[in-house]
Amino acid sequence: MKFFLTTGRTIDQGVALEGQKLGRENIKACAICEFDKDDFAKLDCMIGTPVKVTTKFGEVVVYSQISEQGPHPGIIFIPMGPWANAVINSETYGTGMPSYKGTEAEVEVVKSGRILTALEIIKSYK
Amino acid sequence: MGKIELTLKKEPTFSLEAESITPDNFKGKTQKDIANLIIFHGNEKLSLKDYFDIKGTAGNNLDDIEIVINGNLSKVKRIGEKMSGGAITINGDVGMHVGNTMNGGKIVVNGNAADWAGAMMEGGELEITGNAGNYVGAAYRGNWEGMTNGVIKVKGSVGYESMIWARGSTPKKRFPKLICGSAGQFFGLHNHGGIIICEGNAEARVAADQARGFVVVKGKIGRIMPSFKKIGEVSEIELPDGEKISGKFIEYSGDHATSAKTKGRLYVAR
Amino acid sequence: MKKFKNFEDVVCPFCGTLCDDLKIILEDNKIIEVDNACAIGTAKFFSSNVSEHRYTKPMMRNNDKLEKVTWDEALNKAAELLANAKRPLSYGWSSTECDAQRKAVELMEICGGVLDNTASVCHGPSLLAIQDVGCPTSTLGEYKNRADLVLFWGSNPVHAHPRHMSRYSDFIRGYFRVDGHLDRTIIVVDPRTTHTAQMADMHIRLNPGEDYELFNAIRAMCRGVELDVKEVAGVPIKQIKELVEILKSCKFGVLFFGLGLTMSKGKHRNVDAGISLIRELNEHTKFNLTPMRGHYNVSGANIVFTWTTGYPYSIDFSRDYPRYNPGEFSAVDILKRNDFDVTLIVASDPASNFPKDAVINMLKKPLISVEPHKTPTSEMADIILPPAIAGIECEGTAYRMDKVPIRLRKVKNAPEDCMADYEIIEKLIEKVKELKGE
Repeated sequence: MKFFLTTGRTIDQGVALEGQKLGRENIKACAICEFDKDDFAKLDCMIGTPVKVTTKFGEVVVYSQISEQGPHPGIIFIPMGPWANAVINSETYGTGMPSYKGTEAEVEVVKSGRILTALEIIKSYK
Repeated sequence: MGKIELTLKKEPTFSLEAESITPDNFKGKTQKDIANLIIFHGNEKLSLKDYFDIKGTAGNNLDDIEIVINGNLSKVKRIGEKMSGGAITINGDVGMHVGNTMNGGKIVVNGNAADWAGAMMEGGELEITGNAGNYVGAAYRGNWEGMTNGVIKVKGSVGYESMIWARGSTPKKRFPKLICGSAGQFFGLHNHGGIIICEGNAEARVAADQARGFVVVKGKIGRIMPSFKKIGEVSEIELPDGEKISGKFIEYSGDHATSAKTKGRLYVAR
Repeated sequence: MKKFKNFEDVVCPFCGTLCDDLKIILEDNKIIEVDNACAIGTAKFFSSNVSEHRYTKPMMRNNDKLEKVTWDEALNKAAELLANAKRPLSYGWSSTECDAQRKAVELMEICGGVLDNTASVCHGPSLLAIQDVGCPTSTLGEYKNRADLVLFWGSNPVHAHPRHMSRYSDFIRGYFRVDGHLDRTIIVVDPRTTHTAQMADMHIRLNPGEDYELFNAIRAMCRGVELDVKEVAGVPIKQIKELVEILKSCKFGVLFFGLGLTMSKGKHRNVDAGISLIRELNEHTKFNLTPMRGHYNVSGANIVFTWTTGYPYSIDFSRDYPRYNPGEFSAVDILKRNDFDVTLIVASDPASNFPKDAVINMLKKPLISVEPHKTPTSEMADIILPPAIAGIECEGTAYRMDKVPIRLRKVKNAPEDCMADYEIIEKLIEKVKELKGE
C-alpha cells in the first residue's frame, strides 16, 4: 500500500534519547510505524507485526502500530531516529534542511524479520 | 583578441573557490601573473597554477578577453564573480555561484551548473546548456533585491527558488530575465518586476508572493496558487522589454496574498 | 550515614521551554527524585547518574575497538586532527551552554573550518525566513498574561514541549486571562489529529505539505479577496473564512510554529508565508509569533554565533572571516558532498538524526565526539571526550525559545574527571594554537 511518510517527535522518543539510545527503550519508542486505524485494518495483520517501509531512498523494517494521534488516513508516522532516517529524502534543495516530512512510501507486512537496533543500522553504513 | 585557456589538472578534494577567474582580473596580466592569482582549497590559500594548466595571454582590452576552461569543474565555485566584460566559456560541469553578481560580458557553460548560478546578476548574459541547480538568479540570504538586470538562459531545468526577489524597473530600463526549460518549486517567488519564462513545465507555487512582473509558463503547472485569480485568455503577451510571445495562454493576476491590487501577472499555456 | 540534598527552582536543560521550577533531591551524588519536570526532563536528570550508558573516561579507537585513555592522549590526538585538517566540520552545540558555544566559534575560526549547529535540521529554515521578512515576537510571559488566541501550526507541544501549554500557552492563568484555559481559544493546524489537536477548540486538518498554499489563501482572504477555488489544501473555504474571522477578531493572538513547517515541502518559505500572515493580521489586531525551539539552548547557539560572527548557523571560516550560506555550509550538505576531512560533534547525535547518505559519508572520515552518553555517533567515533552535563553538573547560561537568557544551575558533581564542555574546547584551542604555532 502507498502512503505519505512523515516523521517527528514523540514524548516516548524524547524519553528514550536521554541516555538510552542504544537500549531497548529506543527501539520501542522509535522503531515503529503508526498507521491510521482504517488503513491498518486493510493491512490485515496483528498490532506489532513488523512492516517493511520502502521509499526511493531506502527501506527499513519496523513494528506496526495504530496511531493514537489519528485519524490521519493515507499518512504513516515514524518517530525521528535512525529508522526514519534510513528512508527519508536527504535532499535539502539548497536550504540545509533535508526533507524529513513528506516522502512517498510503500508498506508491506513482513511475517518475520528482526528489527535492527540503532547501532546496528549505523554500523551497516560503515 | 586575448584568448586564454585553463585546464583543470586534478580534481580538487574539497570545494575550490576561484573568484579570481574573470576577464577583469586577467586583464593586462602576463601568463605568470595569472598563474599566481589566488584560489582557495578548503582553508588552504593556493595559486591558480596549482590546479590549472594555463595557455595563452589575456591582453589589455577587456571586451576582447576570452577565457576557456576545461575539465570537471563541479567543485570549482564562483567563476566569473563580479565580471564586467569579456567572455568565459566553461566546457564541463561547474560548481556553485558561477557568474554571481556579474554586470557585463558573457558566460557560457557547456554542461550543468550547481546552485546559485547568476545569483544577484546586474547585467550581462549567462547561458547554461545543461541543467542548473537551485537559486538560479536568486537573491542571497536576507536580500530584498535579487537579480536586477541581464539575461540567464538555461536549456535544461532550474531547481527550487529560481529568480527569487528579481527586481526590474521599466523606467530605468532594467529587465532581469530568465528563460529555462523547466522549473522547480517557488519559480519566481517574491518577484518584483522580473521577466521569468519557462519553456516547459513548472512545479507548484509558481510566482508565489509576486508583487509585480511577468511569469510565463509554456507548459503545465503542478498547481496554481489559490491566491491567484483568473483574468481571461490571451493570444499574445507583450513583455516590458519589448519582446512578444504569441500562443494561447490563460492570464492570472497575483499573488493576491501580497497585495489585493497586485500588478503581477502569470501566464500559463492553455 | 546517607547525605540528602534538596534543590529548588532548578532549570530543566531539555527543551526550549526551559522550565525553571524543578525540585531535585540527591542522595550523596546520585539524583533520586525529580519533581515538577515532564517525563523527558525527568529522564534527562536521571540519565546523569553513572550507569553503563555513560562515559566517564576519554576513549580512543584502537584497531576498531574503543579503549580508555588519558585526557592528554585524547586531547592531543583530537587537536592534531583538527590542526592538520583542511576542511574540518563542527556540528551540534545546541545542548550545551553559551560559554562552550563561544569557544566553538573561536576553535573553528582558528581551524578555518565550518561551524554549524542543530538549527540547520530544526528551525534553521525559520531563521532564513526571519532574515527575509522579519519577526514580530514577544516573550512567553506576555503570551501567558495576554494571549486569548493561540495558534499551533505544525507543532505538537504535548509531545515535544510537554509543559509548554500548562506553563505559558493554555491552562495557565494570566493577568488578563484569569480563567486560564477557558479564557483562551486554541487552534491547531496539523495533518494529523495530534494529542494537541485533540485538546484544541478548533483543528484544521490540512493535506500534508500544503501549508504554504493555506497560508497564502488566508493572507489573501484577510485582505478581502474572494478566491476562485472551493477548497485549499483539503480545507473547505467556509472553514478558512471562519478561521480568518477568529484570527482577525482576537484581542492578542500568538502563532507557535514547529517542524511541521520547517521540514515539510516549502521549508523556510512556509515560515516566510506564516510571518507575512502575522504581519497582515497586525493590521487588524495584535498578533505575534514564536518558533517552538527544540533543544534547550539552540536559541542560545544562534544568538552566540550571531553576536560573535554575525550569522546564526552554517558558518564557514575557511577564508579567515565568517561567511554564511545554509545549503552550502550546512552540515548535511557538506557531508553529502563529502566536502570535509574531519568532524567534531559536540552534544549531538547526527548518526541518529541525519539522513542515511549524510551519515555514510560522515563515517568515512575521522570523527571526534564530545558526548556524555553512549549514542550511535559516539560509538562510531574515533575519539570520545566525555563532558559534564551542562545544567546538571555545571553552570552556564541558556536562552529560552523566546530568547530570554536563564542561568542554569549545578546540582551534582560530574563523574570522575569529566570536564565542562567549555573547558574541553578551551584545552583543544590551546593545543591547536600550539600546533599551528600561533
